[in-house]
Amino acid sequence: MLALRANGAAISTRADRVGLGALIVAAICLVALGAGWFDGPLNAVIVLVLALVVVGVLVLAAIGGPEARRLLAPYGLMKPGLLWMALFFLAPVWSLVRISLSTKESRFSVQYDFNWAWQNYSKAFSDFGGQFQRAFLYALIATVLTIAIGYPVAYVIAFRGGRYKNVLLGLVVIPFFTSYLIRTIAWSTILADQGPIVSVLRSLGLVGVFEFLQIMENGKLLNTPAAVIGGLTYNFLPFMLLPIYVSLEKIDPNLVNAATDLYSTPTAAFRKVVFPLSMPGVFAGTLLTFIPAAGDFVNAQFLGNPNTTMIGNSIQDQFLKQNNYPVASAMSTVLMVSITALVLLYTRFFGTEELA
Amino acid sequence: MTKRRVTNNHERSALSRREFLIRSGALGVAGVSLPALLAACGGGGGGGNSLLFDNWPLYIDPSEDGLVGSVERFSKASGVNLTYTESYNDNDEYFAKIQPLLGTGKRIEPDLIAPTFWMAGRLINLGWVDKLPLGDVPNKKNLEDNYVKPPWDPTGEYSMPWQAGTAGIAYNIDVTGRELKSTADLFSPEFKGKIGMLTEMRDTMGLILMSQGVDISTISSFDQAASSFDLLAKAKSDGQIRAFTGNDYIDDLVSGNYAACVGWSGDVLQLGKDSPNIRFVVPEEGGTLWADVMVMPKGTENTDAVAKWLDFVYDPVEAAQITAYVQYFSPVKGVQDELAKIDPELAVNPLVFPDDATAARLKSWANLSEDVDAQFADAFSSITGA
Repeated sequence: MLALRANGAAISTRADRVGLGALIVAAICLVALGAGWFDGPLNAVIVLVLALVVVGVLVLAAIGGPEARRLLAPYGLMKPGLLWMALFFLAPVWSLVRISLSTKESRFSVQYDFNWAWQNYSKAFSDFGGQFQRAFLYALIATVLTIAIGYPVAYVIAFRGGRYKNVLLGLVVIPFFTSYLIRTIAWSTILADQGPIVSVLRSLGLVGVFEFLQIMENGKLLNTPAAVIGGLTYNFLPFMLLPIYVSLEKIDPNLVNAATDLYSTPTAAFRKVVFPLSMPGVFAGTLLTFIPAAGDFVNAQFLGNPNTTMIGNSIQDQFLKQNNYPVASAMSTVLMVSITALVLLYTRFFGTEELA
Repeated sequence: MTKRRVTNNHERSALSRREFLIRSGALGVAGVSLPALLAACGGGGGGGNSLLFDNWPLYIDPSEDGLVGSVERFSKASGVNLTYTESYNDNDEYFAKIQPLLGTGKRIEPDLIAPTFWMAGRLINLGWVDKLPLGDVPNKKNLEDNYVKPPWDPTGEYSMPWQAGTAGIAYNIDVTGRELKSTADLFSPEFKGKIGMLTEMRDTMGLILMSQGVDISTISSFDQAASSFDLLAKAKSDGQIRAFTGNDYIDDLVSGNYAACVGWSGDVLQLGKDSPNIRFVVPEEGGTLWADVMVMPKGTENTDAVAKWLDFVYDPVEAAQITAYVQYFSPVKGVQDELAKIDPELAVNPLVFPDDATAARLKSWANLSEDVDAQFADAFSSITGA
């Protein structure tokens, strides 16, 4: 009896380790189930282990007293998020990476043989290098453009919006209640060769200027790189504008007054006070814009031409049309890894500690 | 649901024609709302046995302008609860969708699909389709002679054509400013950036191959096509080609974004008198002849209903109604005579019933071996860039 109590006390004092262990075991179980590591009866064993771990922790919390509960609480709070990620993020990534290193025994087979097939990666690079470059280039230009367009608008709404702030924000967001696809296809009508914009440019005699600026090609605006970048810019604008607005909105106008009191010009006040304080918004907006834009395929499909395809189009084509899951998975993995690397690099230069 | 279908099948086969007539009469008395109600149940099917046909979009005469569409006429005449869906949009995409099911021995929902001939050939080779219940289709005698035992279905037991047609050059004369006659026109610098091509490899490459003097009906190796692929690759990188599209090319043609494109005869004819500036021509170097064929995915249970449907659409009177709307080549004998009664003008249109001169320019693709087909598909997808 005494031994049991001592044992119980020991468990209670080390409850945090038990909680952590249980969390890891549960996560591994979910990845195993989600990625299909085993088949048949073994899966039932895993479900049992998962249930035991969850119930075990609950039992420990119930009998362990307040101290144990205090130590267990953080792991309990982490559990829903972590287990969700294990099942719906880690397991799919595991499958993706595994298929990217597999080969199919025949063209129409649904079985993949895992055999460290690195040639999928070399094919991804050799055949689709251009699409990778374009995806990152277009996404980068679109991100810069959304800052250039979004920042002034957010600034005006935040500092000069007054009582119309919410109305103005509403006007920014309302177009995006329509489906992404429909908005993009609508642009293909607006930019068409006989459409309103090209007609106006033609009658003003500006086609030559736009061609010189590489915005138009052969007198057409639709199906050009400019149309793809424009579509990306338009579609991701709110994702840039709203975070910038939020960080600008938080800035106390008295800080600007203080700067001018100290003989700062308005420009210097903006440069030294407002702009640095709004950086977290720009940072968040950049991530929210660049990452999805680099993987986008809708704009390139409807507004581009065969020479402007982005990596998203190629991945979609390999998955859904060519049925080439291994190469498509390799391309997806490369895209994920390179975006992660770019984001880490970006974070290193701009820092996350400002994301307060 | 599956179980209910089985019992319904059993019931249907036991019904005599007289009983059936009584039953349709009863349905009539019950009022128009009943069929609508049954349709709303979706899939399951109430009174009669059911059939799910997944076909290409805009590929059958609808009930409009006071005409009763084929789906409705068939349902009324046969008592079969036909669900007609239009989600077959692209051969490769559809294949990718059904592969995980049919490839592992599971069945897919549709009882009947209409892949293009080469895809049907692939499905037949893979053993993913069942033999059609042709013994219960008396009207199969109306199948046009050139579709009997075709290359993609050498025994003729697995497929029956739905519609056939030709790929040629569709152009907007307001943009081109002149009549086009030749595939070479698609590569003319005057239309730079205003040319569309189909993502359907056999149609786009078929025209180019024929313009290069290659006979697609006997082609058997990739080497014979290599230079034609180079031609397309060069046109693409030069910016000659505006886009590779599927069914949606017609919007770009009408709006004037395309001067010309590879297109399908029926699409242009369907535009009709509203768009007199859109023309279609079988190029002088030759056009491709294709067919979309009806096959039964493996494990279909509603074979009686499939037989009734095949018999219905191979009746020249009914087939003529479909042709009048879709304006493609009909694979059914006697359609021209029946069509003359409802649309005399269309019945003499050489793009629906090709004259000898046009027919001589049409070629259909040889059945490519799996490896060669893969080479063609790879080369084509690396050009389309997606």
